[in-house]
Amino acid sequence: MPLSEFIARRLLQLIPTLIFILIVVFVLVRLLPGDPTSAILGDRGTDADIDRINRQLGIDRSIPVQFWLFVKSVFTADLGNSIVLKRPVTELIVQRLPVTVALTALAALIALCLAVPLAFVAALRRDQLADNAIRGGFQIGLSMPVFYLGLILLTVFGAKLHWFPVGGYGETFLDRLYHLILPATTLALSLSAVLMRNLRAAIIGVVDAEYVSFARAKGLAPRLILIRHVLRNALISTVTLFGLSIGTLLGGAVITETVFAIPGAGRLMIDSIYGRDYPVVQGLTLALAVLVSITFLLTDLLQAWLDPRVAR
Amino acid sequence: MKLFSAAALSVALLLGSTVSSLAVERGGVMTYGRYADSLFLDPVLNDANVDIWILSNMYDTLLLPTDDGKGVQPGLASDYKLADDGLSVTLTLRDGIKFSDGSPITPDDVIFSLGRASTPDNGIWGFLISSIAGIESPDAKTVVIKLNRPDPAIIPALSVFNTAIMPKAAFEAAAGTTDTEKAEAFSAKPVGSGPFVLESWERGTLMKLVKNPHYWDMGEDGQPLPYLDGVTFEIIPDDATRILRLQSGELDGAEFIPFARVAELQAADGIAMELYPSTKVNYITFNVRPQIEGKDNPLSNAKVREALNYATNKEAIIQIVTQGVGTPMTSFMSAATPLQSGKAPLYPYDLDKAKALMAEAGFADGFSTSILALAGNQDDAGITTALQQMWAAVGVKLEIKQVDNATRTAQYRAGTFEMRTAAWTDDIADPSEITSYFAYSPTIDALHSGWKNEEADKLFEASQSETDAAKRAEQYARIQDIFNAEGPTLPLFETPYPVALSKKVQGFSQIPLGNNIFRAAWLEK
Repeated sequence: MPLSEFIARRLLQLIPTLIFILIVVFVLVRLLPGDPTSAILGDRGTDADIDRINRQLGIDRSIPVQFWLFVKSVFTADLGNSIVLKRPVTELIVQRLPVTVALTALAALIALCLAVPLAFVAALRRDQLADNAIRGGFQIGLSMPVFYLGLILLTVFGAKLHWFPVGGYGETFLDRLYHLILPATTLALSLSAVLMRNLRAAIIGVVDAEYVSFARAKGLAPRLILIRHVLRNALISTVTLFGLSIGTLLGGAVITETVFAIPGAGRLMIDSIYGRDYPVVQGLTLALAVLVSITFLLTDLLQAWLDPRVAR
Repeated sequence: MKLFSAAALSVALLLGSTVSSLAVERGGVMTYGRYADSLFLDPVLNDANVDIWILSNMYDTLLLPTDDGKGVQPGLASDYKLADDGLSVTLTLRDGIKFSDGSPITPDDVIFSLGRASTPDNGIWGFLISSIAGIESPDAKTVVIKLNRPDPAIIPALSVFNTAIMPKAAFEAAAGTTDTEKAEAFSAKPVGSGPFVLESWERGTLMKLVKNPHYWDMGEDGQPLPYLDGVTFEIIPDDATRILRLQSGELDGAEFIPFARVAELQAADGIAMELYPSTKVNYITFNVRPQIEGKDNPLSNAKVREALNYATNKEAIIQIVTQGVGTPMTSFMSAATPLQSGKAPLYPYDLDKAKALMAEAGFADGFSTSILALAGNQDDAGITTALQQMWAAVGVKLEIKQVDNATRTAQYRAGTFEMRTAAWTDDIADPSEITSYFAYSPTIDALHSGWKNEEADKLFEASQSETDAAKRAEQYARIQDIFNAEGPTLPLFETPYPVALSKKVQGFSQIPLGNNIFRAAWLEK
């Protein structure tokens, strides 16, 4: 099967998935106790106030009617207005999602840069001092809660050493990148621990494989063997794991964004769920679902390239 | 030479720190860390403290609250007079007052703004000025507000955020057809007459205010206020990060310091840990309906509520939850509320009395009940687990139900809760707001508790048009006596607003109503 057909098939599969996700979210968020108006007004609003505002918002109608209106507007690229923030949902997504994508991408990059070389060192020095030190170090990173790790990094590298800003998001592109380094590192540590362990085990498995012994016997340069044969084959399972971890990373971004005061989509999502801001929850879920699906597609493509049998 | 200059410098520093309170310094931008961002910068349609508490920096009102939050002082109006019959207020507008875009503030703007604010379908604050029947302007400097009944709270109401004066022409020119749509467009780039103007706003992270060059009030140095060039709000939801940013000098101030950190910051160098007096009260609301979802409700018995009040060691809760920062309540309204009549802490801890009352009520063996607490909220966790232990002594088994705010509000409004934790702050320097929600049953069934007391309802109605100050004070004293004795709440404690400031910051305050006042704030260089 040619690659273009593979991609087209995967994109077609995406449509029912997205519709399913949308229905579930649309209904679930409305089944939660409470409504946006009383969530905002809290204890102050009188019943008359709350009923009047809910009517103005159209959320007093039945769920199927609301869903029909929502679907109609989605086809005109209109995701509605945030009830709490009074801004178009598309505008909020355009503002917030790139922040989370940048944070997650940077975290993924840092995780890979840490995991791949160290996995090699650990695998090739199996059970020696370097291996134990690397595995021990990552164990600490893995077992520490994200918010705690974040606060420690903030205190040490921000408040004490002044190498990095103490949270916040900056105003220019470079400034923002600089602001993202500590939170991305926080987010990366637990992922890199998982990746490193997985890759180390895979390398150990591959290094002893017959085709590697054969390559060595042929007299290929050790570096070439490592890159062309060992890394490529060991990476297959790690790539799958990495792709699946992107979803987890996005989840971890919620906590990281709060600790580091970064205005990302994770924080928006949490605030919107607490505020019963239905249009934002729907729109953001849709955007995140598309994002995660694209990540999975890219993972599959990468895997197909590493192991052509996958695409067959 | 070096020695000399060091000595001179230290003398200068010493002098500087002692005389600094006399000589204000101008310029600079104050960076203030907030726990949450604002939502909607419209004076009339907003509904949350995150808006209310900063709005006055952008939108000015005819009158201003005093620093103690109990009275009013002139604002855009230099003079005001309530008619002897209590049926009109005459206000004189200041000379030369302008909006931040340079356009003059006219009586038309006042008529428009108060008319919009008192339209019942606009937002939820109209009840504060429901007495307004019409507004007239006999000349270019005078505004007369006609009332449909004598309203003793109308003067403080003219200092509340929702009566802010907005430019009629600019608002009506904003995009949209309905008032809500226009407000949404207008508030993206608001034009008001407060000391500051919104310059930019990145939601969830940064709000920048700059000095309004047309602000009317003068500083101590004879030049126009504000002293600051601007105020920048940074949104930092995590308490620890907000404090860390203050400590590392990246913020000049941080709000909502957790009580557990107050002592530490009081001892910290370069930080002034402020505990501003507030109108905030923390309490438990009981559902007092005879039955809840078909089940008999012991809390409907006033003796049971009294017993639970006596069985609660409030001093201990103040220590546990507020680290000793809070104070016991002497009435359901805060000590900073005008006409508060409390004298001594309510229901001092008395376990024997509690047991006797339970026996009298026919619950000598106690009963099982539940309380709604906000999930993830440390204060709620502390309060409810303390109650659980304390009430075990009178046989009450308390189930703690952790829910999110929207769920809690839904059960609260439906009247299906048994108890809940709650807090309140006043928005107006008058007891009528809190009393209408707490004790006057037609508003929201007395905190959705189902409690109703004919005498309290009648007294409140009478007090709403009582022009004799002494009589009104008596009516409020009686309402408080009734509510405190048999009402549907358990008063816990009052707490101040904990704000940590850099020592450079002078002249900033948060008044008891919660408003953050930056108009006279300045930074020592």
